[in-house]
Amino acid sequence: MNQERLAQIHDLCRDEAAFEQLQQTLSAELHSLEEIREAQLQVERQKTLLRVVTRLRETLDLDTLFKATAAEVRQLLSADRVGMFRFYPDSGWDDGEFVSEDVDPEFSSAIAQKIHDHCFGDQFAVHYQEGRVQNVADIYSAGLSDCHIQILAQFQVRANLVVPLLQGKHLWGLLCIHQCRDSREWQTTEIEFVQQIASHLAIALQQAELMAELRAEIAERQQAQERAQEFNQGLRQAIVELQAVNQELETFSYSVSHDLRAPLRSIDGFSQALLEDYLEHLDTTGQDYLRRIRSASQRMGQLIDDLLTLSRVTRSEMQKQTVNLSHVASRLCTQLQQAHPERQVEFVIQPELIANGDPHLLQVVLDNLISNAWKFTSREPLARIEFGGMIQENGIPIYFVQDNGVGFEMAFVEKLFKPFQRLHQMQEFPGNGIGLATVQRIIHRHGGQVWAEGKLNQGTTFYFTLAAEEISA
Amino acid sequence: MSGDTGGRVILLVEDNPDDEALTLRALKRNRIGNEIVVAHDGVEALDYLFGEGQYAERDTSIKPIVILLDLKLPRINGLEVLRRIREAESTRLLPVVVLTTSNEERDLFESYSLGCNSYIRKPVDFLQFSEAIRQLGMYWLLMNEPPPV
Repeated sequence: MNQERLAQIHDLCRDEAAFEQLQQTLSAELHSLEEIREAQLQVERQKTLLRVVTRLRETLDLDTLFKATAAEVRQLLSADRVGMFRFYPDSGWDDGEFVSEDVDPEFSSAIAQKIHDHCFGDQFAVHYQEGRVQNVADIYSAGLSDCHIQILAQFQVRANLVVPLLQGKHLWGLLCIHQCRDSREWQTTEIEFVQQIASHLAIALQQAELMAELRAEIAERQQAQERAQEFNQGLRQAIVELQAVNQELETFSYSVSHDLRAPLRSIDGFSQALLEDYLEHLDTTGQDYLRRIRSASQRMGQLIDDLLTLSRVTRSEMQKQTVNLSHVASRLCTQLQQAHPERQVEFVIQPELIANGDPHLLQVVLDNLISNAWKFTSREPLARIEFGGMIQENGIPIYFVQDNGVGFEMAFVEKLFKPFQRLHQMQEFPGNGIGLATVQRIIHRHGGQVWAEGKLNQGTTFYFTLAAEEISA
Repeated sequence: MSGDTGGRVILLVEDNPDDEALTLRALKRNRIGNEIVVAHDGVEALDYLFGEGQYAERDTSIKPIVILLDLKLPRINGLEVLRRIREAESTRLLPVVVLTTSNEERDLFESYSLGCNSYIRKPVDFLQFSEAIRQLGMYWLLMNEPPPV
């Protein structure tokens, strides 16, 4: 109660005792009036807080939330400006700007003005990070540094209440309450209220961060999905192209099979006709030439057939199943022995070698390898051909076909699997160099590897594996 | 050659003159004395069989004892000729031997699907070719009882 009003009452009172009593009664009454007013303010603050919390639930948009909150806080505190200041990430808390505010129209807006305070990052950030509040009743008498006063003065600030805005434990920005028209003593209840507002905004900041992370993750997933789709698209395109190439290959081999063989048949047929019908007109040299023509055309016919077989091996569809390689090998060896009963060959076949693959193609592999072994041991009086298998450390079995025949020089090992490459003269060992190329293609189609080891006149060993998926076998 | 088949013709459908000459020679050398009619494409073959075009005057009640059919032919190809032979009442029982260069699986499959009686691939080696013709003559002209005319 002010002194002037008290003096008036004193004059009205007849004695000192009555005045004392009146004064006490009045001040008790006034006190309870103060309490009521304070309680009303408290209710208003709680309402504002409630609205902030409600809005927090309704919107994930920081701008909307900041703007509405700034307006309500300014109205409730009768302040001149309420602003949300944000530090630029990675600026070391020296730079930032107001991202939202509510300001009395009498004063200028602080929004979007870049603020640089080189002492803030060093000296104050760590305190704000721990929850410090700056409470300045008058910037000119609070002992602030000159640069600080300068920054505040450009926004006409007289009194200042600053509360940290935290995102988790990270100092995101500051909630600033400015009084511009006059200095102002900030009440404890007001400070507590602003702190409560700031803690609710911290939740919004936390949500916004989670939201941003979520958005980034979604975007990343979408990108991954798009990449996968692009990849699939590329794959489909490649398949289409591959199919076209296969189709062309098919057409090509079809016409090779028809058109290239027909003239060969004429060459061979008419050479034979000459030999049969005009023998008496030819001397032995002439007859020899005709025989050479015939044998060359037949060899070319065989080459064309083998090339077609090779291309069919690549094109044909694979049907994988369990194959008893030992049975296949035994059967092939028996056939060879029956076809050439004059030869003495010892066959050693490891029993029950089971593999997973295309039965027909695997038979072609073993047929080529065992026939090779048979061929290249033909000069060996005690020929020996072995088929076996062993399990490697990684669980994948290696199969091998070994002979004690003429062998080869390891220097030429690279040539072995190339079509039409031969390491021996035709007169020594017949063949056209297609067999091992075929073997390699079949093994590769099964996902396996094939290689050879040999030494001149000391035999050859062919090793092969079939697909890595046989680990469990 | 037995008397009741000796008079009947063999229809050779072949566009390649070399193959024609070689086939005729092989037939002759294997003492197959039947008359051989050569059609040089699918249209000619069908004209002969159904008495049309250049064969409009022909008595179609005289049917070949066997048809040797190449697949790759100008105009109408061999598979189509085979299909029409099997479709027509008057020719559906005639023995047809596909005699061709191709050993592509699809040709084999198509030929048997359309009802050829036998499929022989012409080998490059003339002696093998001649042997194939001999066996073919043996079987279709001597061993096989032809369908009733």
